[in-house]
Amino acid sequence: MSGAPITILIAALGGEGGGVLAEWLVEAASTAGYPVQSTSIPGVSQRTGATTYYLEIHPVKFADLGGRQPVLALVPCADGVDVVVASELVEAGRALQNGYVTGRTTLIASTHRVYAVQEKMTAADQRYDSDKILAAARTLAKRAILTDFSAAARESGALINAVLFGALCGAGVLPLSREHCEAAMRKTAKGAEANLRGFAAGLALAVGKTATAPAAKAKRRPPRVERIRREFPPALHELLELAAARLADYQDEAYAALYLDRVRAVLAVDREAGGEADGFALTRETARLLALWMSYEDVIRVADLKSRPSRLERVRREVGAQPGQPVVVVDYLKPGLEEACSLPSAWARRLRAWARKRGRVPAFPLKLKSSGIMGYLALRALAALKPLRRRSSRYAEEQALMERWLGALKRLGFASLDRDLALEIARCAALVRGYGETHGKGRQALLQILEGLLENEAAAAKGADYLKSELRQARSRILGAEKGCTTMSPAAPATVKPLVFMKRPGKG
Amino acid sequence: MERSFKEQVAKLRLGDGETFHGEGILAVTKALLQSGVSYVGGYQGAPVSHLMDVLADAREVLDELGVHFEACANEAGAAALLGASINYPLRGAATWKSVVGTNVASDALSNLSSAGVKGGVLVIVGEDYGEGASIIQERSHSFAMKSQMWLLDPRPDLPTIVRLVEQGFELSEASNTPVMLELRIRACHVHGRFQCKDNRRPAHSRRDPLVQPDFSYERIALPPSTYVQEKHKVEVRWPAAQKFIRRHKLNEFFDGDLRDIGIILQGGMYNTVVRALRHLGLADDFGATRVPLYVLNVTYPLVPEELTGFCATKRAVLVVEEGQPAHIEEAINAILRRADIDRTHVVGKDLLPLAGEYTAEVVLGGIGRFLQLVMPDGIDLEGVAQTLARVEGAKARAAELLGAPVPTRPPGFCVGCPERPVFTALKLMEKELGGFHISSDIGCHTFSTLPPFNLGNTVLGYGLSLAAAAGVGPNMAKRVVTVMGDGGFWHNGLTTGVANALFRGDDGVLVIMQNGYTSATGTQNIPSSPGIERGIAIESALRGLGVRWLERVGNYQVSAVADALRRAMTTPEGGLKVIIADGECMLERQRRERPARALRLARGERTVRTRFGIDEDVCTGDRSCIRLSGCPSLTVKDNPDPLRTEPVTTVDAGCVGCGLCGEAAHAASLCPSFFHAEVIQNPAWRDRFVDRLRRGVVALLAREAKA
Repeated sequence: MSGAPITILIAALGGEGGGVLAEWLVEAASTAGYPVQSTSIPGVSQRTGATTYYLEIHPVKFADLGGRQPVLALVPCADGVDVVVASELVEAGRALQNGYVTGRTTLIASTHRVYAVQEKMTAADQRYDSDKILAAARTLAKRAILTDFSAAARESGALINAVLFGALCGAGVLPLSREHCEAAMRKTAKGAEANLRGFAAGLALAVGKTATAPAAKAKRRPPRVERIRREFPPALHELLELAAARLADYQDEAYAALYLDRVRAVLAVDREAGGEADGFALTRETARLLALWMSYEDVIRVADLKSRPSRLERVRREVGAQPGQPVVVVDYLKPGLEEACSLPSAWARRLRAWARKRGRVPAFPLKLKSSGIMGYLALRALAALKPLRRRSSRYAEEQALMERWLGALKRLGFASLDRDLALEIARCAALVRGYGETHGKGRQALLQILEGLLENEAAAAKGADYLKSELRQARSRILGAEKGCTTMSPAAPATVKPLVFMKRPGKG
Repeated sequence: MERSFKEQVAKLRLGDGETFHGEGILAVTKALLQSGVSYVGGYQGAPVSHLMDVLADAREVLDELGVHFEACANEAGAAALLGASINYPLRGAATWKSVVGTNVASDALSNLSSAGVKGGVLVIVGEDYGEGASIIQERSHSFAMKSQMWLLDPRPDLPTIVRLVEQGFELSEASNTPVMLELRIRACHVHGRFQCKDNRRPAHSRRDPLVQPDFSYERIALPPSTYVQEKHKVEVRWPAAQKFIRRHKLNEFFDGDLRDIGIILQGGMYNTVVRALRHLGLADDFGATRVPLYVLNVTYPLVPEELTGFCATKRAVLVVEEGQPAHIEEAINAILRRADIDRTHVVGKDLLPLAGEYTAEVVLGGIGRFLQLVMPDGIDLEGVAQTLARVEGAKARAAELLGAPVPTRPPGFCVGCPERPVFTALKLMEKELGGFHISSDIGCHTFSTLPPFNLGNTVLGYGLSLAAAAGVGPNMAKRVVTVMGDGGFWHNGLTTGVANALFRGDDGVLVIMQNGYTSATGTQNIPSSPGIERGIAIESALRGLGVRWLERVGNYQVSAVADALRRAMTTPEGGLKVIIADGECMLERQRRERPARALRLARGERTVRTRFGIDEDVCTGDRSCIRLSGCPSLTVKDNPDPLRTEPVTTVDAGCVGCGLCGEAAHAASLCPSFFHAEVIQNPAWRDRFVDRLRRGVVALLAREAKA
């Protein structure tokens, strides 16, 4: 009797129980009477790295083999894997990349993401495009069961390995019954009940629906709309309503009105340059960035956000507190000179002079128990300084820089009527963000761009194309420098260098 | 230790005819007991750690048999342990990770194999080569050759591995030579079964000790003995080994109908080769092959008679030999040339890659190209070409659809690792003082060389970082910082590094990561592990040696670590400045604390769970916090703010509340987004009262603020 071995690759992250899943499979197959072999390359996988387990099950039972021993492989082969189980989407992508998912493969993969260090350490968004993996999986696999198994794991209180085991059983690709699988799980006494729940959930996911659509996000529609509806094209309404509401909340209605005034001026440039064609993309991006900038995070804002009643509820949800369990929240704050500048400017001037004399910026690390009465009071007191914000030196500096940026945008935009150039200028506002040093550096970078390029007549005279490319380069240089480190890159392929024989110098 | 191995220990007791189910390395452990070993030693490291771990837990079984087990200080110690078999008929075994362990052991190994052994000696090396390897890529084979130790590379199935362990001792005794058994990573972890035999009680052991010491100058590594020993190696031991290998059929022949070609392969490559042949339609599921195979379960020494017999009738043979240099292929060429066999073409590293792991696709490609080259009669070459194209095309097709390679995910520091905050502090110091040279060591802390830290300029070996700083230190304007783990400290660093640096009066900074265990190999105990018998504190060892500048810091206090580093870097005091960075391995701590916490919760006792978090509306997503941490639980998610396009930073449910996030936010003046939350489970009445009061007042204040 023959029958090719069923080959199974499990791709997981260290600590997710991939090894236990392999053990369950070995146990279930052994009990069912099939020859089975598993191998792994755990090494240091327990320390968070990507890891794989490889199994083969010979589909003829020992009893029917007449004493013959199948030779089972220890390594997977491209175009030679029947089932790929991936506990995370990029790990599924890695299996795809290695050629393990082909027309013979059933792919069972969780669609959630656990980001790799290189995806999350840079200031710019470097996350891998999940859609590429999903599309490739659907194209290449014989059958792709793609869903968020981690959510099912959370709901059932099991680790993801149990859920994936259930899905593997439910996919009907193995000669193992549900009873065999569950018996294997019961043998490992620890957490058997939760595991069985997870198993059932995974099985249901594999048998039933194969994808869950994310729920559409509900968006608030605040009532402050009349002016926006009157003065702006419909394409911008939703964004501007959100932005204006944010600024009214940040400061007051007058501040929101100032915002709309500024956006209207940009819209004029956009209209003149024919922006209607692309739905006023320039105005949209500028309005978005301007709203973020105008709601810059000063100490008043932070105190306000941290002392909202909704915040404690969000924290409770995030840390998984059950009803009836008190939660104590301690905030890590380090107010320094920056924060002081958010206060009325006369105080800030004196503080700055003092700091300059001392040569070092004083900062005070605070651990504020904001769920306590005193801590909460302190936050509320700071938040209550909101009406004084306009008198702060930070306010004056931010507004002045904003005006220079908007001024350059309008001036060069009208002059060139080049929407791409205006958009490049608009995007420079994204440099100014964050706190402390990050904020300082971004601000410095924008100042350099203004002085070196946008407000520099010699530079501007070189034309729109020159400015565009300079701006793009400057931005990517600055955001790239924020990485601060080198990332690993695959070794460059060796190139063939011709041997050249030369005469020794000084001879012949 | 990392895990408890009770279940595995029970397997060591299995008797005659019973079936063992389990991992390859455990099968080896059982085979050692079946072979009647008197003593076993070694140094832990993937992929052979489990051998050590299980024996450490198997005191009772070992006591019954009288077997002595020793967790050695390092591989040199383990190799020296084998000296017991030089004079006495004691079977002994040692294990370590290779090639690095063999490097450390090689002094003792040279002396051992020169003197020769009376009792059988088996060295089990975990060949950490290829995918999943954590060390430099070299072969143990070269060591076997230069010291003339015999090298076994068994087919990776449990019955063959067990048989080779048993026959390895016999081979060792028949040829007075220590024998190495090489197991690749996957062979160590392969899960299979074999029929057991009873364990054998050694003739001499702790229970039946030897009475008379044996002296023979011939066994001493001094001239003229060494000259005699070398001659004895080549004139007596080598032929004896070859005779034994032939007579007991340690190597295997698998015949096939394509008689004029053949494949010569390392035993360890057997399953991959048979599977490749199956893909090409030349073998079945049970190993019946059309291409004749000569499987070298002993890869050193080769047996010329067997080789010439296999090759003489063949037009061409393919040598499947993983790793480089191609010792086997070169030896085969030499043997055939000496035997005047000219018609057999030897093909190997010209069709297969010189370096790197022989994966399934690599072997399939090599065999396919071999067939295309020699074109044997009666095979479907068209089919071969199609199979090769399909396998090679699979990757290309996926690469095209994916567009860009998926991000790599190397291992890194665990969630809550106590070593991470030290590198956060070093990163801050680097910014404050400008760059400085960092001499790194082997251990979990070597992960600091990866993003986001990229700290550590050189790695020269286990416990060698301080010695490696000795050359660069005097040539650098700024002080060199050396990082060493406590594992490396006891392995080698105490003498080679610290003692000598003090003796020479070197100026430098040494940071010792005291996490309590050799964590990277599976948290085995070391002399300074917490709560062990006869423990030795690193601090007292250092004081005893005469270290004057010594500070001890709690790792999670990033500012305190940074302050200590600043003092060490800037003090006018010369000499060695040592900082003991103290923080227990989080894996081990969680393993202890998690069950205790679960028990407290089940009993209804008050339990506080701490977790960190980030206010998503305060975070502006510049991710400098991630660049100072790299913690797996500090990650990103889509921004809930519709005006922001960049992802927002978040702390996921894996957080163990180690405290680094908050400390780093303070030490680096990051941003005010971080908070820590203490969830009080099973709250006492006081907690509930205070909570109600607080929430009442806060609600009142909040309402007023709104109004």
